[in-house]
Amino acid sequence: MDYIKHKVPPVREDRLMACQAYGGTCGDLSKDSKKGCLYASKRTFSQTQGCQLNLSLGMISSMRDAVMVIHSPIGCGGNLIQNAGINKVFQKLRQESAVGLRWINTNLSEVDVISGGEAKLRQAVLKAEREFRPSAILVFNSCVPALIGDDIDGILDDLQKQVSAKIVPIHCEGFKTKIQATAYDSVYHGLIRNLVGEDKGSKPEVVRTLEEEAEHQAVISKTVNLLNVGSMSRIDEEELVRLLKALDLNVRILPSYSHPDDFTYAHEAALNVSICATHDDYFVEHFQQMYGIPYVMRTIPIGIANTNKWLRDIASFFGIEEQAEKLIAAETAELNKAIEPFKAEFKGKTAFLTGGEVRILTTAELLHNLGFEILGLRGYHFDKYGEILLDEYLEDVPNSEKAIFNIGSGQVFEQANLLSKITPDLFVGHIGVNGSAAKQGYPIFPLFGQSDDYLGYKGVFEVATRVSRILKNPAFNKNLGSNTRLPYRDSWYEQDPFTYIDDSASVAARIG
Amino acid sequence: MSKVIERPRYVCALGGAIGTIQSLPRAIPILHSSSGCGGNLAGALSGASGYNGGNYCGGQALPSSNVSERDIVFGGEGRLQEQIENTLKVMDGDLYFVVTGCMVEMIGDNVHAVTKRFKGGELPVLAAETVSFKGNSYYGYELVLETLFRDFVEKTTEKDAKTVNLWGVVPMQDVFWKGNLGVLKNLLKKLGFETNTFFGQGETLDNLKNAAKASLNIVVSDAYGIEAAKVFEEVHGVPYLTVQLPVGDHGTSRFLRTVGKALGVDDIKIEKLIQEERKAYYPYLERLADVYNDLDFQRYATVVGDPNYTQALTRFLADDLGWLPELVVITDILGEEQKERVLATFGDYESGLRPEIVFDEDASSVGGYINRHWPQNQGQKYYKGFAPGVILGSVMERDTAEQFKAPLLPVTYPISNRVVLNRAYAGYTGGLTLAEDVLSLVVAHR
Ligand code: SF4
Repeated sequence: MDYIKHKVPPVREDRLMACQAYGGTCGDLSKDSKKGCLYASKRTFSQTQGCQLNLSLGMISSMRDAVMVIHSPIGCGGNLIQNAGINKVFQKLRQESAVGLRWINTNLSEVDVISGGEAKLRQAVLKAEREFRPSAILVFNSCVPALIGDDIDGILDDLQKQVSAKIVPIHCEGFKTKIQATAYDSVYHGLIRNLVGEDKGSKPEVVRTLEEEAEHQAVISKTVNLLNVGSMSRIDEEELVRLLKALDLNVRILPSYSHPDDFTYAHEAALNVSICATHDDYFVEHFQQMYGIPYVMRTIPIGIANTNKWLRDIASFFGIEEQAEKLIAAETAELNKAIEPFKAEFKGKTAFLTGGEVRILTTAELLHNLGFEILGLRGYHFDKYGEILLDEYLEDVPNSEKAIFNIGSGQVFEQANLLSKITPDLFVGHIGVNGSAAKQGYPIFPLFGQSDDYLGYKGVFEVATRVSRILKNPAFNKNLGSNTRLPYRDSWYEQDPFTYIDDSASVAARIG
Repeated sequence: MSKVIERPRYVCALGGAIGTIQSLPRAIPILHSSSGCGGNLAGALSGASGYNGGNYCGGQALPSSNVSERDIVFGGEGRLQEQIENTLKVMDGDLYFVVTGCMVEMIGDNVHAVTKRFKGGELPVLAAETVSFKGNSYYGYELVLETLFRDFVEKTTEKDAKTVNLWGVVPMQDVFWKGNLGVLKNLLKKLGFETNTFFGQGETLDNLKNAAKASLNIVVSDAYGIEAAKVFEEVHGVPYLTVQLPVGDHGTSRFLRTVGKALGVDDIKIEKLIQEERKAYYPYLERLADVYNDLDFQRYATVVGDPNYTQALTRFLADDLGWLPELVVITDILGEEQKERVLATFGDYESGLRPEIVFDEDASSVGGYINRHWPQNQGQKYYKGFAPGVILGSVMERDTAEQFKAPLLPVTYPISNRVVLNRAYAGYTGGLTLAEDVLSLVVAHR
């Protein structure tokens, strides 16, 4: 992978042939995916979803001592408004003196659309510098400047000479891709190009004696970058740090809630550790290519099996398998005892999960391990990384090939139809679709949350206790189920949930 | 040239339009936009509006053509046609309303040409070009109302002298809109009028459809909904009156007198109603007689937000509560003419107070104005600043409030640290609620 020298990273449709519309079973998907013809499918009826800009902001708006500039008409970045004033609480978990979210919208008007938005961009960056003196200014561009052809990089290069904050352009025009996850690439692209490396740092170069250098190298040889793009809570981080420390490793956490300076020496690490290929493949591959740093990225440490795999992958890199096996044995023995009562409680219960491909497959494994039968899954999108995990899942979880697999971010109409047909006991959902399922009366376990833990061994127990608690009294959602209505016609529920997925292009490709 | 804005308290015209349409009973917005627009606006519409939720059809349920690069090159009209056809099949509504995002406006899709093909069908399909680089949420509200008044409200020669329409309380941007509309409707009922608010509790689309029968349109704002009122007058011949959002006795009594007079209600009847309402209002405030004075409850106040609320809150604090709301920061993008109209609403205080009023869209500026109005402590021993102070604003004033160690009551948009269901601040009852909320802050740390 070598896209870093380009101004803009490619979209995931092109880079990973990612698919965003599919309906079938896990077994079908595994087969169809291998034929490589899923990416061309589309919808003839669709509901709104997020875009690259939303997700980019979600991923990196937590950066401390930074100001965001959103180069767009006034609406883009609107989701930030709900976090203004409350985000600080989370930033403070990392740094007591953290301030709240700060952003500037360039408020492109009709005049700017005609004559170009460059002056506004300048104004915004200079204002960010003047009023807040941040360490970094993150510039996000939306659809409109792309279409009017603003020379964003040119202006920012020029502005960099005038401001002391590091300027980080993040190219995330929404219309370029329907795969939101392209945002991860956009953010990492900007960070790697503009913050990583001693020459990009704000502090003077470190000079070391020979002994000091040797010591420093020894530290590096045991340092891992643990990548968190916002889907790990602080408690999750603490659990993973606990496990990695038990293996005598040093941990640096990037990029959520980081400080711009944290990136200067990000390449001084022995290994990049990802919890999700959807998030990090762009970053880790480039780091391997640019700095020779290998990575671990197979799975997310959710559930016992996947946590074990994750730890073993890391341990085998450092040649400390034995130490890892001891840790795993001790942890799993203790944990298995603790979750025993839940297995009896959940036996025979059914679940449906929706969210990112990596997260749902591993969480499904966890629930299966706790006694649930998994009736179906909905992934935001699907690509080669999902394919690998799905095959492992099919192996690990007996009889899972018949479970439903639907691909589509948002598209709650498909979900509503599906749920009305398969009626699970528990719905596990990503933010954005839970309200819809709640109105159908299902008990809901959120797929992740900023204040809860899901990861590692502790996560397994916590998930079990929370699921148990939620199932104990689902009255709130039950009341909603019997007293509210989703905005779909009754006739819709009689139809095939995948009626509006048009995969004629892929069918043609398959035959032809 | 329009300004860059630090932490704007509104979104684009598309966002305002979606918020408005999804607050109408059984109306379905159809977005003709990039796939991300709806998702991007969802948090502003729901999460930042006291967890307003998406109503019947909002959030990720919003139908959207999700145009991407290919459509942008070849034009998105075909995709829109397909999307509307299928929306009618899947989504269960009584009114469908196409609104546009920046991208499709820039490539020049003709949405009206497409929606025209659905004219005369079983279900109404309207469209507005919510050109988002032309304005913010309030502009979107205005455009949707204009379209509804032009294309949905039925023409009639029949007039009903006892019916009025009322708008100007913008759904979502007024976080308490639903409760407030209910209060205003009730007050007008006491004056002897039926009111269509279109968005209020228990109303249906028929209230909107039959709105041309009304004898007067009451726009409860000096900034929003006035253009739509002009359209209404032009198309249906119904005149309009602008009044300020009333909170508490002084505001609401003025409201009743202004509206009552315009509707030809007998003075005696109006005054009688006001006396009755006061009889219910002051016995509650009376309960505070001891505590207000024993504990010296008077405070300085800074009021931050949109023109509707800032004037209402300032009058309430000054005239009903006897506080010193000396500084008002208005955060909307307003034209010169609008500014003048709005400025005129901050006057005639019974208490004789004259607040300083500034217009500034940037969220971080508020602290600077407080420091300017109440001089900063330069380390002197004897010093008098913004203390004891209270801030009435939005959740965005959190840092400023912390900085001045002043309690903050979030009343204006955005609000994400309170959950709002049917709470209302308008009217006499709303004044009591506001007194409860703001004084509870003062006693919270006892
Ligand atoms: S692209 Fe335009 S319509 Fe879409 S969210 Fe941004 S400002 Fe609003």
